[in-house]
Amino acid sequence: MIAENTQIQMRKGILEYCILSIISRGEIYASDIIAELKKAELLVVEGTLYPLLTRLKNNGLLSYSWQESTSGPPRKYYQITEEGTEVLRKLDVTWKELVYAVEISLTGNKK
Amino acid sequence: MNKTIIININSIVFHIEEDAYEVLRSYMIEIKRHFSQSDDSGEILQDIENRIAEMFMERIQAGKKEVISMLDVNEVIGQMGRVRDFEQVDEMKDEPYVDESKEDYKRVISERKLMRNPDDKVIAGVCSGLGYYFGMQAKWIRVLFILFFLFGGSGVLLYVILWIVMPEAITRADRMSMRGEEPNLQNFKKNFEEELEGYKDDFSAVRGHLSNGGKAVGKGISTFFQILGKGFAFLMLVFCGMVIIGMLITFVGFATGILGYQDEMVFPGLRLLSTGQAFIALLAGVMAITIPFIALLHIFLRMLLKTRSMNTYLSLSLWAGWIVSIILIIFYSFVGIQEYKESSTIKVEKVLEKQNVYHFEEKDIRVIEAAALDNGDKKYTMKVNKKELSRYLRNEINIRFEYIDSLDIPYIQYNYFAKGRTYQSASECASHIDYLAKQDKGKIVFDSHFALTTEEPYRDEAVSVVVFLPEGAKVTIDRTIRSKMWNLPYSDCKKEYGKDETIKYTEWVMRRSGLQCAPLHIEKAKKKEKKVKDATISEDESSN
Repeated sequence: MIAENTQIQMRKGILEYCILSIISRGEIYASDIIAELKKAELLVVEGTLYPLLTRLKNNGLLSYSWQESTSGPPRKYYQITEEGTEVLRKLDVTWKELVYAVEISLTGNKK
Repeated sequence: MNKTIIININSIVFHIEEDAYEVLRSYMIEIKRHFSQSDDSGEILQDIENRIAEMFMERIQAGKKEVISMLDVNEVIGQMGRVRDFEQVDEMKDEPYVDESKEDYKRVISERKLMRNPDDKVIAGVCSGLGYYFGMQAKWIRVLFILFFLFGGSGVLLYVILWIVMPEAITRADRMSMRGEEPNLQNFKKNFEEELEGYKDDFSAVRGHLSNGGKAVGKGISTFFQILGKGFAFLMLVFCGMVIIGMLITFVGFATGILGYQDEMVFPGLRLLSTGQAFIALLAGVMAITIPFIALLHIFLRMLLKTRSMNTYLSLSLWAGWIVSIILIIFYSFVGIQEYKESSTIKVEKVLEKQNVYHFEEKDIRVIEAAALDNGDKKYTMKVNKKELSRYLRNEINIRFEYIDSLDIPYIQYNYFAKGRTYQSASECASHIDYLAKQDKGKIVFDSHFALTTEEPYRDEAVSVVVFLPEGAKVTIDRTIRSKMWNLPYSDCKKEYGKDETIKYTEWVMRRSGLQCAPLHIEKAKKKEKKVKDATISEDESSN
C-alpha cells in the first residue's frame, strides 16, 4: 500500500515534468505527446492526457492554438508559455538534484 | 446488412453501425460521468470528442469506407482508454495523500452503490453487496436472510428479487463504488492485477468481429434484464408504498380501537394487554412490518431514480428501530401468553319461580332508555346496571337448557369464565363478570351483553348459562335471544309456523331428551284429532 502510494507520487511528478519537457521542444499535438509517453511507458491511453493538459494550461504553463488538419477537425497544438519554461527550468534543476540524490543513495558514498 | 445511424461529433457527420453506436454512446456517458466532478469537464470532453472525431476520420479515409463499425469504435476506445484507466491519472491531481480521515469516510458513505459482490459470495454476492451498502458485515446480512427464510421462506423470494435487480460489480470502479470507496490512490492500487486483466479485455475486444457479435447478443440480453428489472422494481415500489400506507391505516385503526374510540377494529391479541402496553405492542408490530418495506422502498427508489443512498444515521436508526420492535413483540407475546396461562370458572345458581310458561327474551342494553332523563340529568347517564358504560361490553354468552325431574324447582346456573396469569387473577376476573337474568313472573330477560366492571384488559371472559327446567315445562323463546341459544334448532322450529315473518317467538316443551319444538297450533290440532278419535270410539261403544 505504502509502496504503491509512493510509486504513484513519484510517477505523478515525473509525468508532468515529461509532458512539459516534450512540449518545450516545440508545438505539438496531443496524440503525438501520447505517442512519446507510450514509448516511455509512462501513459498508455490518450484519454488520460487531456485532463492533465487542461490543468497545466489552466495553471498558465501551457497555451494552445487551433490549426487546420487535413484529416478531420482542427487540432489543438500545445506550446509552452514563458511561465511554463520557467517552471521547467526549475524542474530541470530539481531533476538533476534528484538523480544525484538517488544515485548517491543507491550506490552509497563511493567516490 | 446492418442498420446505420448518423451521428454528429463536433459538426462532423459520421455514419455508424447501430451496435457500434450503442457502445460509443455508453462509453461517452461513462466518460462524462467520470469527468463530471472536474471543473474543466467541458474542455476535457471537448478535447476527447475532437480526438475521437479525428480518429474516425482517419479510419474512414484510410479504409476508404463510409461507415464506422464496431471494430473501429473498439479500437478508438482502446486507444482513448476506459474510465478505469483514467482513475489512475486522476488521482495524480492536487489532492494530497490523506490517511483514512473522517472527512474521507463521510464522502465514502454518500457514494455507495448497491451491487452484487463477486469477490465474496455464497450464492450470487447479494448479501455481501448489501453488507457494503448498509455498512455491515456480510455475515450479519446472511444471518438475517436465514432468519427471513425460516419465517415462511420469504428470504428466498427477497434474495431472488435482489439477485435480479442488483447489478454485479464487474469492473474495479464498480467494486469501489459498491464499497463506497472514492477511487483514490490507496484504493486504486488494490487490485493491480485486475487492471492488467482489464487491458487484456481491451485487446481481446479489438481482436475480432466474432466476439463482438456474441457481446452484442449478451448486451441485448442484459438490456432485456435491465428493463425487466426496472419494471419489477417499479412494481415492487408501488407494492411497498401500498404496504406502508396500509400499515399506517392499520395503525390508526387499531390505535383508536385500543384507546377506546371504536370497538370494531381491535387486533385480537392486543386485547389481553393493558392500554399502554397494547399501544406499544401495536407500534412495535407496525414498525417491525413497515421498516423492512421502507428499506425495500428506498432500495427500489434508488434503483429507479438513482438517488443518493440513505444517510447512515437514518439507516442505522431504522435498523435499531426494527430490532427494538422485534424484541418488544417477542416480549409482549410472552407477557400475553402468561396472561392466558390459567383459567377459572365460577358457578352461581339462582332459583326460578315456578311458572306455567317460561318466556325467554333478550334486552339490548346498548339502547339507553329515555327514562334515564327523568332523574333530572340533562345528559343521558351512560350507565349499565349502575356501572359506568365502558368499552368492556362483551357478548360471549351462551344459553342452553337442561332437563330436571318434573317436581324439582327450576333454576338457572351461571358459569363465569375467565383466564389469567394465575388461578387467583383468573378467578378475580371471572368474579368481575356481572351477568344475571331478571325474572318478572313468566318473563325471563337476559341482557344482550355483560359488562366487565374493571379497567382490566380482556381475559377471554365468557358466560355460559344453563337453564334447568322440569319435564313438561312450556317455554317460549323470543327471536331476540336466538343468537345466544345457538345449539337449539331455532330456525327448524320457526319453519313450523310457515312463512309468517311476524312471528315473534317460538314455542317449546321440555322433554327428557331436551327442549322440543312444540308450536301451539300444531299441538292444538293434535289434541283435536285425539278428541275426535275419542268421540268416535265412545260413539261406537254407545251404539253397541
